[in-house]
Amino acid sequence: MYTYIIKRLMGAVPVILGVIALVFILTTIVPGDPARLMMGQRGDPETIELIRKEFGLDKPLWYQFIDFFRRALTLDLGKSYRNNMLVTQAIIERIPVTAKLAAFSMGIAVILGVTFGIISAVKQYSWLDYGSMLVAMLGISAPGFWVGLLLIVLFCVKLGWIPGTGTGEGELIYYVLPSITLGVRPAALIARLTRSSMLEIIRQDYVRTARAKGLSERVVVLKHALRNAMIPVITIVGIQTAYFLSGAIITEQLFSLPGIGRLSVEALINRDFPIIRGVILFMALLFVMINLLVDLSYPLFDPRIKYE
Amino acid sequence: MLKRILAVILVLMLVAGVLAGCGGGQQATEEPAKEEQQVAEKKDGKYGGIFRKAIGANPPHLDPVHATDTTSAMIIYQIFETLVGLDSEGNLVPLLAESWESEDGKTFTFHLRKGVRFHKTIEGGTPTANGGREVTADDWVWTFNYICDPETKSPRAYFLDMIKGYKDYREGKVDHLPGVRKIDDYTLEIELEYPYTPFISVLAYNAFNVLPKEDVEKWGDEFNFHPVGTGPFKFEEWVQDEKVVLSRNENYWMKDEEGNQLPYLDGIEFRVIVDHTVRWTEFNMGNFDGMQEVDDPYYHEAKEKYGDSFQERPMMGTYYYGMNVELEPWKGNKKLRQAMNYAIDREAMIDLVKNGRATPAKGVLPPGMFAYNPDLKGYSYDPEKAKELLKEAGYPDGINITLQYNTSDGHKRIAEALQQQYKAVGINMDIKNVDWGAHLDSVERSEVPLFRMGWVVDYPDPDNFLYVLLHSDNRGPQGNYTRFSNPKFDELTAKARVETDQEIRKKLYQEAEQIVVEEAPWVFIYHYTTHVLNQPYVKGYKLPSFGEYSAKYTKVWLDK
Repeated sequence: MYTYIIKRLMGAVPVILGVIALVFILTTIVPGDPARLMMGQRGDPETIELIRKEFGLDKPLWYQFIDFFRRALTLDLGKSYRNNMLVTQAIIERIPVTAKLAAFSMGIAVILGVTFGIISAVKQYSWLDYGSMLVAMLGISAPGFWVGLLLIVLFCVKLGWIPGTGTGEGELIYYVLPSITLGVRPAALIARLTRSSMLEIIRQDYVRTARAKGLSERVVVLKHALRNAMIPVITIVGIQTAYFLSGAIITEQLFSLPGIGRLSVEALINRDFPIIRGVILFMALLFVMINLLVDLSYPLFDPRIKYE
Repeated sequence: MLKRILAVILVLMLVAGVLAGCGGGQQATEEPAKEEQQVAEKKDGKYGGIFRKAIGANPPHLDPVHATDTTSAMIIYQIFETLVGLDSEGNLVPLLAESWESEDGKTFTFHLRKGVRFHKTIEGGTPTANGGREVTADDWVWTFNYICDPETKSPRAYFLDMIKGYKDYREGKVDHLPGVRKIDDYTLEIELEYPYTPFISVLAYNAFNVLPKEDVEKWGDEFNFHPVGTGPFKFEEWVQDEKVVLSRNENYWMKDEEGNQLPYLDGIEFRVIVDHTVRWTEFNMGNFDGMQEVDDPYYHEAKEKYGDSFQERPMMGTYYYGMNVELEPWKGNKKLRQAMNYAIDREAMIDLVKNGRATPAKGVLPPGMFAYNPDLKGYSYDPEKAKELLKEAGYPDGINITLQYNTSDGHKRIAEALQQQYKAVGINMDIKNVDWGAHLDSVERSEVPLFRMGWVVDYPDPDNFLYVLLHSDNRGPQGNYTRFSNPKFDELTAKARVETDQEIRKKLYQEAEQIVVEEAPWVFIYHYTTHVLNQPYVKGYKLPSFGEYSAKYTKVWLDK
């Protein structure tokens, strides 16, 4: 297993290096000069040149690439062009908000998705099955900004149960609506996936055997069937978590949450290359790590899977 | 078994990683002791209360020397102060200079206000490096030197390029700015290379505030996150993308008409709400005392519901489509450019698309600006004349053109409305949107024949419109994006810069503007309006003609 982990980590190195190269190339070919943008609508060429020099944008591209590469390896991602904040600090400051949002959204998605998935599989072709899958279909189809606005109107304006948007003074209540908004879609996805996976499993011989042994239906479903049905679900949960942790742009914008998503959008608009590169690098690391953790968690659900 | 345990540990690590982030967040939000301020009881009369304002973007800069945008300026106006200020009508008024004089428009003497002090504490009572000392002429000399120093890389230093010795100082030939001198502790003299009449107006620009040397040197680049000024409010907290919190400067120099200490408010909290709908919804819930940018869908409701609390007025800015006169089809084809101006019904578009929230533009200068000419011979809506000119311009069968604009729903709605009007006269206008960075880049490189642009003044003088946007010396990034060049216009606007007689200046600018209108390098579309929405209990707020962002909260109070 340790060999497997080391192999996977070694395999991640070219991926990360590839991401560094790709993100550098993409940010340099995009039109728009960051030094010029810093000047506002008009600027004098002399100061633009001074700023370009400060950012190292006057250097040849190959030099900029090597410099960026060298510093990225030591996690020195430089400072934001826009407000001089250290890139690492800018990202670290936003992680708590995004992490809370990701954790709560995923929690909602897993609880609702697995529950509805199991119910509709066990009660196949019943009104519970049709009802659950209809709700799941609506959940997948409903755009996030629309769900979010509806929730705001209902819970903030009409009922007054939630004080408003933002993060208040850190109270968790502020995360309820954004987490539901963000969690609805993966919940629906997980429900459909759990259902199809469970339907396949509960027709297996060993499930029939379990029933024949006289085990209760609860034990059959939750212990024997569900665990085996979880492998595809775990994969989706892992990927979705990585997406959430790399920033939910629309939800963060709608609920005025200062997370990674807002940071990356602002950076893109303003050609804040150090921030863009930092965020993408952060995302790449996140995906690699989460995928590894997901893979390593498979034996927990299916003992037949072994990493030798 | 061991492997299974390890697998469990790894899954727990995943969960713990997420929760660790959560823990960090809670710590971060518990740090500043600001709750006390927010629930501060309102004291007697006008005093007390936190003004909660919803704004549409996170300010990139609180360091005035590096700020170029209006969101930053909105907060900078509360923390810092310039030598001269602007009243709500856009007139120059004394601020940190009590008075000033100049006999030749070249040398200016400023008599500084006594008893003005830098902030003594910021960020929850942390002492500043300056210790709250008094501002003297030495501070102004240092500040101007600091702003103009090439090492500072201030994007607005070039506004001061007329100060004597600016060029030598920038090139390192001298070690200080010789044109800025201290006469005594309370008298400052600024000498220019040449007479420049709008100079006093330039000094009202929000980049040219007095700065405490000790704090700027202490923080370096980090001064942006620990700003210290002399203004009515002190910096307390800035949570990126969420809020900026200011508190009352208890040592502020200004008093009201009855001799009471200003400001009245205990503080201001600017909260960033990007989404228009959410901002409007939260304002209606009473979560804010004031909000920026009431979007078109809520305009009528806001006016009806809030009456006088919804303030709106013309603003010193102009929205136009630029035609690059060095590119086809506009090059050497004045009649075609004029046809573009005759073909559109500005009033209909403003009513239809902008809820009537703009003034049709006849020329460059907006109403309220010095030298604005109400009798300017501009373009009326005349589709027949447009067709005739199109024919004379060599396009009897019509023409295909493309407008490039920077991505925005508002610009799109305007472009689509005008597209229909152009079509009616035979001008088929395609529209293409790109983001602001790419738009500005391509326009400045002279790659776009027809482009959307707008301009809101930096300082209230026609120089900031006509010279900056249309003088041939400013072709390119300096502001003249259409690359318009007319020797007579250049001569008139250059002359108006040095002329001290205001009546003569007015005539020069009016003559120059008529030339631009005749030559039509722009499609003159409309002049902006500015607006603000406050709750009915907000008193003492005056909407400045310079733009809502320039409002000061010194005399604002909450009647609740």
